[in-house]
Amino acid sequence: MTTSTAVPPAPPAPPTTPTETSRRPRPESHARGALTMGYVAKLLLVALVDALGVYGIFAGSAHESWGIVGFLAFALLLVNLVYFVPSRRLIPAKYLVPGLLFLLVYQVFVVMYTGYTAFTNWGDGHNSTQSDAVTAILSQNERRVDGSPSYGLSVVEKGTTLGFAVVAPGKTPQVGTAASPLTDVPGATVANGVVTALPGYSVLDFSSIVQRQQEITNLRVPVSANPNDGSIRTTDGSVGYLYRSTYSYDAATGILTGPEGTYRADEKVGNFVDAKGQKIEPGWKVAVGFKNFTDVLTDSSLRGPFVSVLIWTFAFAILSVLLSFGLGLFLAITLNHPRVRGQRLYRSLLILPYAMPAFLSAVVWAGMFNQTFGFINTVLLRGASVPWLNDPWLAKGAVLLVNLWLGFPYMFLVCTGALQSIPADAIEAAKIDGASGPRIFRSITLPLLLVSTAPLLISSFAFNFNNFNIIYLLTQGGPRDLTAGVNVGSTDILISFVYKLAFQGVNRQYGLACAISILIFLIVASISAATFRRTRALEELN
Amino acid sequence: MATSSVPAVRTSRARWWREVGWRHVVGAAALLFALFPIVYVLSASVSVRGTLSAANSLFGTFTLDQYVSLLHDPLHPYVDWFVNTVVIASVTAVGTVLLGAAAAYAFSRFRFRGRRGGLLSLLLIQMFPQLLAYVAIFLLLIALENVFPILGRDSQVGLIMVYLGGALGVNTYLMYGFFNTIPRELDEAAMIDGASHAQIFFGMILRLTAPILAVVGLLSFIASFNDYVLASVLLNSPSKQTLAVGLYAFVSRQFAQNWGVFAAGAVLAAIPIVLLFQFLQRYIVSGLTAGSVKG
Amino acid sequence: MRRSISVAAVLGMSLGLAACASSTPSGTATTSAAPAATTTLTVWVDDTRAPAVKAVAEEFTKETGTQFQFVQKDFGTMRDEFIAQAPTGKGPDIIVGANDWTGALVQNGVVEKVDLGDKASGFLDVALKGMSAGGQLYGLPYAYENIGLVRNTALVADAPTGTFDDLIAQGQALVTAGKVKYPVLIQQGDTGDAYHLYPIETSFGSVVFGKDAKGDYDPTQFTLGDPEGVAFASYVAKLGKLGILSKDINGDAARDLFAQGKAPFMVTGSWYIPDFTKAGIKVAVSPIPSAGGQPAAPFVGVQGFFLSSKSTNKLVAQKFFSYLATEAAQTKLFEVGGRVPALKAAADKAATDPVVGGFAKAGENGQVQPSIPAMGAVWQDWGLAEVGIAQGADPASTWTAAAASIKAKIAKG
Repeated sequence: MTTSTAVPPAPPAPPTTPTETSRRPRPESHARGALTMGYVAKLLLVALVDALGVYGIFAGSAHESWGIVGFLAFALLLVNLVYFVPSRRLIPAKYLVPGLLFLLVYQVFVVMYTGYTAFTNWGDGHNSTQSDAVTAILSQNERRVDGSPSYGLSVVEKGTTLGFAVVAPGKTPQVGTAASPLTDVPGATVANGVVTALPGYSVLDFSSIVQRQQEITNLRVPVSANPNDGSIRTTDGSVGYLYRSTYSYDAATGILTGPEGTYRADEKVGNFVDAKGQKIEPGWKVAVGFKNFTDVLTDSSLRGPFVSVLIWTFAFAILSVLLSFGLGLFLAITLNHPRVRGQRLYRSLLILPYAMPAFLSAVVWAGMFNQTFGFINTVLLRGASVPWLNDPWLAKGAVLLVNLWLGFPYMFLVCTGALQSIPADAIEAAKIDGASGPRIFRSITLPLLLVSTAPLLISSFAFNFNNFNIIYLLTQGGPRDLTAGVNVGSTDILISFVYKLAFQGVNRQYGLACAISILIFLIVASISAATFRRTRALEELN
Repeated sequence: MATSSVPAVRTSRARWWREVGWRHVVGAAALLFALFPIVYVLSASVSVRGTLSAANSLFGTFTLDQYVSLLHDPLHPYVDWFVNTVVIASVTAVGTVLLGAAAAYAFSRFRFRGRRGGLLSLLLIQMFPQLLAYVAIFLLLIALENVFPILGRDSQVGLIMVYLGGALGVNTYLMYGFFNTIPRELDEAAMIDGASHAQIFFGMILRLTAPILAVVGLLSFIASFNDYVLASVLLNSPSKQTLAVGLYAFVSRQFAQNWGVFAAGAVLAAIPIVLLFQFLQRYIVSGLTAGSVKG
Repeated sequence: MRRSISVAAVLGMSLGLAACASSTPSGTATTSAAPAATTTLTVWVDDTRAPAVKAVAEEFTKETGTQFQFVQKDFGTMRDEFIAQAPTGKGPDIIVGANDWTGALVQNGVVEKVDLGDKASGFLDVALKGMSAGGQLYGLPYAYENIGLVRNTALVADAPTGTFDDLIAQGQALVTAGKVKYPVLIQQGDTGDAYHLYPIETSFGSVVFGKDAKGDYDPTQFTLGDPEGVAFASYVAKLGKLGILSKDINGDAARDLFAQGKAPFMVTGSWYIPDFTKAGIKVAVSPIPSAGGQPAAPFVGVQGFFLSSKSTNKLVAQKFFSYLATEAAQTKLFEVGGRVPALKAAADKAATDPVVGGFAKAGENGQVQPSIPAMGAVWQDWGLAEVGIAQGADPASTWTAAAASIKAKIAKG
């Protein structure tokens, strides 16, 4: 075996990557079981992970973050099991666990959260919890009593009970707490319209007020024994106003009473609702079962243009992949020739479109396509007036062109990398056998390339299927079909179409948007999975 | 593949054209296509009025004012952003390559239950529409910051961890495909020589697959370099923000007046990527693989 | 693959930007308060408003010791991000935004009421209305802005007095004389721009929403599709035929054309004035002439501060708001930020500048830009219909179809 020269000698190789973060396990030299450098490194790293994990379990318990504690316990168990139990079956796990842990925490969580949201009514008006909704309704319906004066107000304290000492212009100072209505206190010292000293009470200074601001902004001091007369509150600790709330909430029964009737909490819709079905805003977030999914399927505005949008979505995604892969591959092969000089320069410049922030590129292209002032019409076409983004078909072409521009450097890069991996001797051998250039390409280069790039192409298809940004930044789905009753244009793909549906109506409907994105995911994932199975055949070539 | 070697035999002009010349024609055409929007941006960055339409007369006016104001604006600490972005993107790239290569190694070299399904799942999970990613990640980081403050919001380490969550995925595939082209006989030979699987991975596989590691590293670097959504939600202090977030503020306005400054920022931002590419090209086009695979 | 970028921002019809930075002298009046406990208020502000807000915050810190943490957020995404973050209790205490956010913020229960008490009477009515919902004030207004007719005084010396048609004729004469390319500029762009056409629309008597008994916009009275609206639509078709309205003339293009002296008039706001001045164009501002017989009423947009309902520093924040309601603070905001103050006393001072005064006069008839949530459904269809008509679509049918589609969206919720 001549190949052994390429393999490092038997003693453990020094770690090649000293900069790595704590999560990386070090190799284990279980073949010998002795204290090799690799083993020590592994021991130290796992020990570090263990220490952080145990710390996290304690800190998490203190904060009652049981989800985190549970995950950490699971992760610790997994890590120690995988790296210390000597079993051949666990070897692949040693290489998979670090990445999978990150994946679980940061990606799977997003998926699960989206899945959960799809079954709720989260959106404008259903943004938080019921108790937040009650607080908001009560506060929004608390009205300053018309014609009431502004009171000079001091925050006072008796024992630990906070109260307000107030002075209405030309009146006797009064004091009261949440439990006891305002009563006159002639003995108070008043300066600049506020009480500065009061026998039996201490007057809070500004810093104490700031420290207890939550209590103070929530404090309501009734002006009389009759609650309907209203109460004094302050927002800044120095001026008080008389307020009357038009709504009251009984926590025990869950009944909200307002000037126009009583409302009960309806957990099905997430609103307070009266007998006639009248709702009060804001509501709260509740689970609504499959409602979002059935809404999608029964929405007539979605059904109308659905087919044409779906066709274009497929056309856009497939053409984008084919065009950019085709161009990228063509350039990679063309320039990857031993006698072409300046390859490095070509390559460095050709990846530039990929190096530009995508939103910049899209906006620049949109500007260049402008019919009257754009660079393409005025300079390149010398004053022509081609309606690039205003004609349904030209706009489709323009979107594809820009996506080609954005996408081909990626494919070029990947193909260049992959071409390097094709054994030169395979091609040499074919040449010696007298195979022509195109034939070598077809029967050797392309199949080998596809082994490593086919999954990329599938993934690129999926990416473009949901490539909201390019559509939105370039045409916003337009030019719009003004005759359709729905907001749909000729370059709208599925995701941009549903985005408009879910977010550009009166209310933003996150729940609906999540449900739709799950449906789209199911479409894309099943197509990709099916395609992927077919590419398995390619792999056997190797 | 020595690209610089001078052919020993002088070839006729016609043959040169047939074999090499047309490649330059294609290359030049591709460059024209790739570069003209960028030239346009470059022109906007040095134009006096600093607007996009002013760039129609390419380089009609020249000024470096846009660059000067970019670098001397206390509200937009461009230099901080630049450093932050390079650091975050570099660490993420290294992490992504290591995590991804390890996983690709496992998928390529071992046979275990759930291997096929696992590979497919990695590909599919990345296709999930990330519509709510910003909300979910925000909630996650609020929870995490109680336990590990450094993994919370307004922490660049926290952001890097979020990016590393995407380390396994299509990039793993890319590497997996490449790893598969390295003959297993090499592993077996090393095993016979007494190397452990870890030694084979770190000592041999990583070296032999340098081209694809470089490609993945570059792709990861560019992805986090250009990320807007997560960085803007998670990093609050202006001095901790990244280039994409900072630059986006220049164009997102209704009445964009800052095209020139934005263009200047984008031009400067492209430099690290180009430099990194220059550096990595050595590995991408190394011929290392070809050499060692022979035989 | 590329990570995605959020682009919802691009469509936002939120109001704009840095205005003319003229300055008026001011004294810094201060209310006395002892420097005390150090509370930190977290404020979200976009980078264009940041300098002005930071400047007044510094003054407030000097007086009260309150510290500020400023977070620079993108204006276009700030509202939605705030709505998503506020319920967690981890959001900011204060955000600096625009009046058209009020409806959604209140609907989601994420903002606290603001009590100005007797200080409220010092503010312009239109500014208070803009930050109110259901008759209650939810934000502290600090500035307002509207569009007007900007003219190039080198081409047209005197303010036009006739109708909009007279204005076009005046402009056409200059076009015929070869002095300019466009008689008048009104920015549109690919998705149209209903905001910039609204003064012309109101001069035909067409408004977007009727008002309820309380004087609030009423989403059930959606009136774009009425005969007045159709009359306006045919005028849009006429402007389209004359080449005045076009998809291609977006904000950027219109601004450049005017800055190059290629048009005598432009319907725009104060945000472009610095560019014109920089390009050496001398401008004057006057009210927009009527096209349909009634006064042309532009939308008035209001900028202001909102307080999170989940803030733990409400009292200090309200104290800060009280401070912002003083003439000194409003004047300072104007001096640094250049936006016309919402407080009358400060606005009067600012109006001594002819451009600021010109816009103020143009906005005298103005209507508060509606902030009710239903407005979200209106902007896009509205603008698209207008630009579609300008590009040659049939005015009456396109207009009524768009109105019906918007109405259906509002009804659906």
